[in-house]
Amino acid sequence: MRFIVLLLLLTGGYANAHQFTPTYPELEMSHMAGVYKADMVLLNTREDIRYYGLNVFDKDWNPVRFATASKIVPLDYRERKYITIYISNREVDKAKYICSKSKILLTVREPSIVSSRICSKLK
Amino acid sequence: MKMKKLLLIPALAVAASTAGASIPINGFIESKCVIQSDTAGMFGNPTVDKLSTKSADGGVMPIVRYDIVTASKYKAVITTPTSFSTAPSLSDTVDWTSTTVAGQMSDAAMSIFNTDKVIYNNGHTTEFDLVKAGSVWFNVTSEAEYGYGKAFPSGNYTALIVAECIAK
Repeated sequence: MRFIVLLLLLTGGYANAHQFTPTYPELEMSHMAGVYKADMVLLNTREDIRYYGLNVFDKDWNPVRFATASKIVPLDYRERKYITIYISNREVDKAKYICSKSKILLTVREPSIVSSRICSKLK
Repeated sequence: MKMKKLLLIPALAVAASTAGASIPINGFIESKCVIQSDTAGMFGNPTVDKLSTKSADGGVMPIVRYDIVTASKYKAVITTPTSFSTAPSLSDTVDWTSTTVAGQMSDAAMSIFNTDKVIYNNGHTTEFDLVKAGSVWFNVTSEAEYGYGKAFPSGNYTALIVAECIAK
C-alpha cells in the first residue's frame, strides 16, 4: 500500500491537490545587493482553484515584507510555476515561513469549500 | 576504404544500442505535504434551524486528504467554519459546532494522529502532528444552528474549511 501511495506521489497522480515545495527553502543572495531570494515551486491540480496568494511570516505569524513577481499567482489546472521570493536583508532575520494559499472566487457556490494553505519553513 | 566503412556500421550500431541501454532514470524524493480536496461537503437541513454536513442529517461530510512523503516534517491544521461565506441576511446568531478526525489512512499506525491531536479555538481548529508518512483522509463535520429554534431563511449557504500544512 505504501509503495502504491509513494508511486502516486512520485508520478504526480493528484486529482485535486495543492503542492508547494521545497519544505525547507534556503535563502541565498539575489542579483540585487542586500536582497535575498528563495526559489519555490507551486503546483495546482485543484480544478476549482485558479489563484494562489503568497505570504511571508515571522515565527509569531506576523507578516514580513517581501517582493515577488505577483503576490496573487494565477495558476491554471495542472500548471506548475516557479516562484522567486525576495526578502531584503533588513527583514531576512525575521522571515520564518513562506506560505501559499488557495484563493476562492466568489462565483464558487459549493456549500462547503476547502481553502488550502501550505507553509514552508526557512532554515 | 569502402570496406572499412562497411565494417564501421555494425560497430556503431552496437555502440548506439549500448548507449541506449544505459539511459538513466532519475528519481528524487523530497519531503512535501500535498493537500487534496477529496470530497466537497454539502449541508443537510434536518430541521428548520439546523444545517449539518453529517450524513445522518442528510448532509455530505467534507473530506480532505493529506499526502505526507516524509514523516515528522509537517503538521496539519484544519479549521472549520464559524460563519457563512455566503448566506441570506441573518438577523440572529449562528451557533457552530464541529469535529475533525483522521478517518481512512494508508498506515494503521497513523491512528496516532487522532490520539495526539490538539483542539483549540473553541473546538474549531484541530492540529495533527504528521509523524507518519503516507496518505490520510480527514473527515470534517460542521453544524450550524440558528438562533433559538429559528428557521434559516431560504437561500444559498456556503462555508469555508481551511486545511493547512505547516512545516515544522
